[in-house]
Amino acid sequence: MPSDAVLAAFSSDEEPITREDASQLARRLWSLLDKYHRKIYFALALIALWTACLLAGPALVKYGIDHGLTAKDATALYLSAGLYFCIAVAGFWFGRAAIWSVSKIGEPFLRDLRNKVFRHLISLDLGFFETEQTGRLVARLTSDVDAMQDLVQIGLAQFAQNVFLFVGAVVVILVLSWQLALCTLVVVPPVWWASRWFRRESSRAFLEVRDRIGHNLATLQEGLAGVRVVQAFGREPAFARRFRATNEAQYDANLETVRISTRYFPFIEYCGVGGTALIIGIGGWFTTINIVTVGTVAAFVLYLNNLFEPVQQLSQLYNTLQQAGAALKKLVLLLDTVPAIAEQPNARDLAPEGALEVEHVSFRYGKGPLVLHDVSVTVGLGERLALVGPTGAGKSTLAKLMCRFYDPVDGEVRYAGQSLADATLRSLRHRIVVVPQEGFLFAGTIRDNVRVGRPDASDHDVDDALHALGIRERFLALPEGLDTEVRERGSRLSAGERQLVSLARAALADPALLILDEATSNLDPGTEREVEHALEALTSGRSVVVVAHRLSTAARADRIGVVDDGRLQELGNHAELLRREGRYASLWASWTTAQTRAS
Amino acid sequence: MRSALNTQRGWLLGGVLAGGLWTGARLAGPLLAAAAIDQGILKQDGHAILVYSVAIALVGVVQAIGTALRRYTAFRIAYRVETDLRERLFAHLQRLHFAFHDQAQTGQLMARANSDIQQVNLVVVLLPLTIATTFLLAGVIIVMVSQSVVLAVFALGALPLLSLAAARFSHRLHPISLELQNELGDYSGVVEESVAGIRVVKGFGTEARQEDQLAVESSQVMDRALAAARLRANFLPLVDFLPALALVIILGYGGHLVLEGKLQIGDLVAFNAYILYLLWPLRLVGMLVAQAARSSAAAGRIDELLATDTAVTDPAHPAALPSGGGEVRFEDVRFGYGSGPPVLAGFDLVMRPGEAVALVGPTASGKTTVARLLPRFYDATDGRVVLDGVDIRKLALRDLRRAIGIVFEDTFLFTDSVAENIAFAEPDASMDTVRNAARLAGAAEFIDALPEGYDTLIGEHGYSLSGGQRQRIAIARAVLADPRVLILDDATSSVDPTKEHEIRAALREVMRDRTTLIIAHRAATIALADRVVLLDGGRVVADGPHEELLATSERYRTVLAQAQPAPVAGASD
Repeated sequence: MPSDAVLAAFSSDEEPITREDASQLARRLWSLLDKYHRKIYFALALIALWTACLLAGPALVKYGIDHGLTAKDATALYLSAGLYFCIAVAGFWFGRAAIWSVSKIGEPFLRDLRNKVFRHLISLDLGFFETEQTGRLVARLTSDVDAMQDLVQIGLAQFAQNVFLFVGAVVVILVLSWQLALCTLVVVPPVWWASRWFRRESSRAFLEVRDRIGHNLATLQEGLAGVRVVQAFGREPAFARRFRATNEAQYDANLETVRISTRYFPFIEYCGVGGTALIIGIGGWFTTINIVTVGTVAAFVLYLNNLFEPVQQLSQLYNTLQQAGAALKKLVLLLDTVPAIAEQPNARDLAPEGALEVEHVSFRYGKGPLVLHDVSVTVGLGERLALVGPTGAGKSTLAKLMCRFYDPVDGEVRYAGQSLADATLRSLRHRIVVVPQEGFLFAGTIRDNVRVGRPDASDHDVDDALHALGIRERFLALPEGLDTEVRERGSRLSAGERQLVSLARAALADPALLILDEATSNLDPGTEREVEHALEALTSGRSVVVVAHRLSTAARADRIGVVDDGRLQELGNHAELLRREGRYASLWASWTTAQTRAS
Repeated sequence: MRSALNTQRGWLLGGVLAGGLWTGARLAGPLLAAAAIDQGILKQDGHAILVYSVAIALVGVVQAIGTALRRYTAFRIAYRVETDLRERLFAHLQRLHFAFHDQAQTGQLMARANSDIQQVNLVVVLLPLTIATTFLLAGVIIVMVSQSVVLAVFALGALPLLSLAAARFSHRLHPISLELQNELGDYSGVVEESVAGIRVVKGFGTEARQEDQLAVESSQVMDRALAAARLRANFLPLVDFLPALALVIILGYGGHLVLEGKLQIGDLVAFNAYILYLLWPLRLVGMLVAQAARSSAAAGRIDELLATDTAVTDPAHPAALPSGGGEVRFEDVRFGYGSGPPVLAGFDLVMRPGEAVALVGPTASGKTTVARLLPRFYDATDGRVVLDGVDIRKLALRDLRRAIGIVFEDTFLFTDSVAENIAFAEPDASMDTVRNAARLAGAAEFIDALPEGYDTLIGEHGYSLSGGQRQRIAIARAVLADPRVLILDDATSSVDPTKEHEIRAALREVMRDRTTLIIAHRAATIALADRVVLLDGGRVVADGPHEELLATSERYRTVLAQAQPAPVAGASD
């Protein structure tokens, strides 16, 4: 059976928003819509006109019947029919204009919202990304904006139109005959009540359907992914049974929704017919005592529709509003998150070259315990420093402070004498570049991916960067050379090749200080050697900090820093540290024996 | 597809009958209203008014019952058809041969079983309503024509345009919706990779590049959404306009007839009601027409899948598998995938009962293919494979596969408990059998240490195990049924080299007294075998103990050297 992880993916984590939330969110939405206010008033006016045209129809029918037919006046009849025609045409045009003008507000607004949320998201510090799940962040920009889209595309216009229609119809029938109107309005509460019941029950049932579909798809997917194992062990019938169970469960859930709607829709339909019977019965009796005319009765029968539809629609729209509100709440929360790493107002560019000094730095993630205690170390110009130590000891964290992915809680990191916190982010990212462990590739060609290192680089620069690392030929040898799409099926690059692209990026960026996070996993044997050569070429002539997972890498550095328990325990070159017979020496001893045993 | 509907014939008939009931009540309502106006209100007859309005209310009850039955049957049929079809599809997919699954994409098969079936469902749901609407339309035409042919023609004339417009709208909206979906896919692609690659983005400070890309995508999304909005803006007001046109005609021309004394005022009101009644159904019919095209395409895709026959089938009269020690012979076996080049070109191999043979060869030399022919995942194009003296094509698939235990290169575990995964071949196996298999596979120790022991949920969505642990569970699964032949297809490749020796110990245990075919790259795994067979160009090029081949075969040495992972110490040392 699929576990909670699957269920979580299919069930919502939304909680209903409160009344205070709603009014706060409405104000926030209104301010987000800032530059559209004038257009919104215009669109509302169009919707009102459209609605007025719809409401005028039955009134004209009444006029035609009373003044034309009952009074035997042909002119009045043709006048009312002619007017009705004109109003219908006008309604058509107003409707078109209204829908179009709402879209012309909504779609650009959604585009701006997408851009705005994305721009904000991407400006947030790395710490934020490390505490949030990728899936959740992506959902902000996909499903949450989509929920807003439902609201903006159809929801708001429909909401406005239905409110206008309902209020308009009530006003018109009250004017025509308040006595008959009061009798007619009796049917509204049951329709409202039933619609609310339906909304509640059906959303519960549809959630269940969604869960069951999730279960069923998970079984299906597993059956397909494991089909070879199933066949190898001759278990096809058992799996068919297993699928039948989840499949029937989905059917049962679907049928439950049918049962709910089978109760609701006939009831609504009956309210319509019952309302007609009521209008004709009571209205007819009113005609006998001269309270209303025949035309009024006919108009009421036609207006009944204009009372029902909005009530039903509005109760449905309530769901859309709820969902959009919940989505907006999450979006607002994201937009209100302040990036922890931002440029100071008086930031200055970093000097082109210099030493990196870490001085008495301490650090903790969020409110957690200190993971670095009072660490000081200097990386001289052109020096290569390796950081070693057990997993979780703090060596990667130290590396992240060196490029200001985080700010220290205490102490300072300086480059060429200037604090990183006072530097422009642009110059900082230009002087100090981090090459992550895994070579991450974006959709696009190899060339595009290298160019990430410096977006304004020419093709020639990209070639040069690859050439400098001695890897240009290997990529040119691909059928489509540097124009190979990296995400396309069949042209997937190996882990080693991805790492090469990642190094070429760094070469193109041409930083003064490189921070390397060494890969923990083995690369494919073919590219391992090339990666080593490329690294050699990339690091020569630059200051380098490498977070080393292999002691062979550390041994080649100018100096080695042993980080453990959040402190810099030892610092010196390979020979010095071995002589010291401290932590590094014992790490080295146990590692070399493991190596000889393995080979 | 048709057969799926056939099983629902009874319900379908019931749905149509309910539709008839509904139609009758719907037609009667406005006629009663007309009578109430003409006989009651205009004649100031209070009694008639009361009678007719009560009659309207009663007919309303019938109409509501009709609606309830019609809706319920329609949806029930549709969901039943959908559910049955999906079950058939799944059972069929489970039986289809490996070669089919090699080239099919899981995502596409999922789409067949999910969205394609739902497309079919949509038409099935609308079917009874369409039939009922046809009845209703016919009834309205009859009623109106009986009053005035000219009025009926003018008033109803505009309404088919509504179906037409709805069909056109749906037809034109569909490609735009698909484009919009694609654009949204591209857009979320940029979001996803920006978040996933945030370290690169931050590391190089290239936020602006990502923002530019996103701005392009979000603009394209907007363009498509606006194109859809333009269609909606043209269609939706039409839904109000066309019936209003009919109402205008009824008022103007109908009123004219009333003044001439050829029609009653009540009839006018009744006609108005009919027009409003027909509104929704006619729109739906238009949608149905557009949907039908998509659904039939979906149904075509499903049918195509169901019509794919499985290539590997049981013989008509299966032979019994004689008891034996698991002697395996490949006799001049030839095989190629589909119309591709031959992978095996005259492959000969004899494995004596209980013998362990390692199959070694360069990439794409056909090693895995050999392993796949033995359980008949594929059939050889020429030559034969013999198990204990019987051609495997003469055996029942079930018997053959029971006699062979296989450990795949990628250990697929199901989302189930550890015990159920191990007892996969025999779900009724006793707990002792399961424990024994786990012990043989060297898995007993770590399983006991799991939070819930053998009841721990594992697999894709369960407790995550290390590669070595997964591998050992797969080994336990393979040996539970006590197969006479064991196939280890690169079973140690995904295991951390430092943990490999643990697996090797387990393998040595389970290989005892079984004929074993080992496909391996690493020297340490090859060492488990009694004999090594070097495969190249689809045939055996060398055969003998590991040391002997190492000494005599240059080819063997190169193949081994290529396959060895670089030492962890780093290549440049």
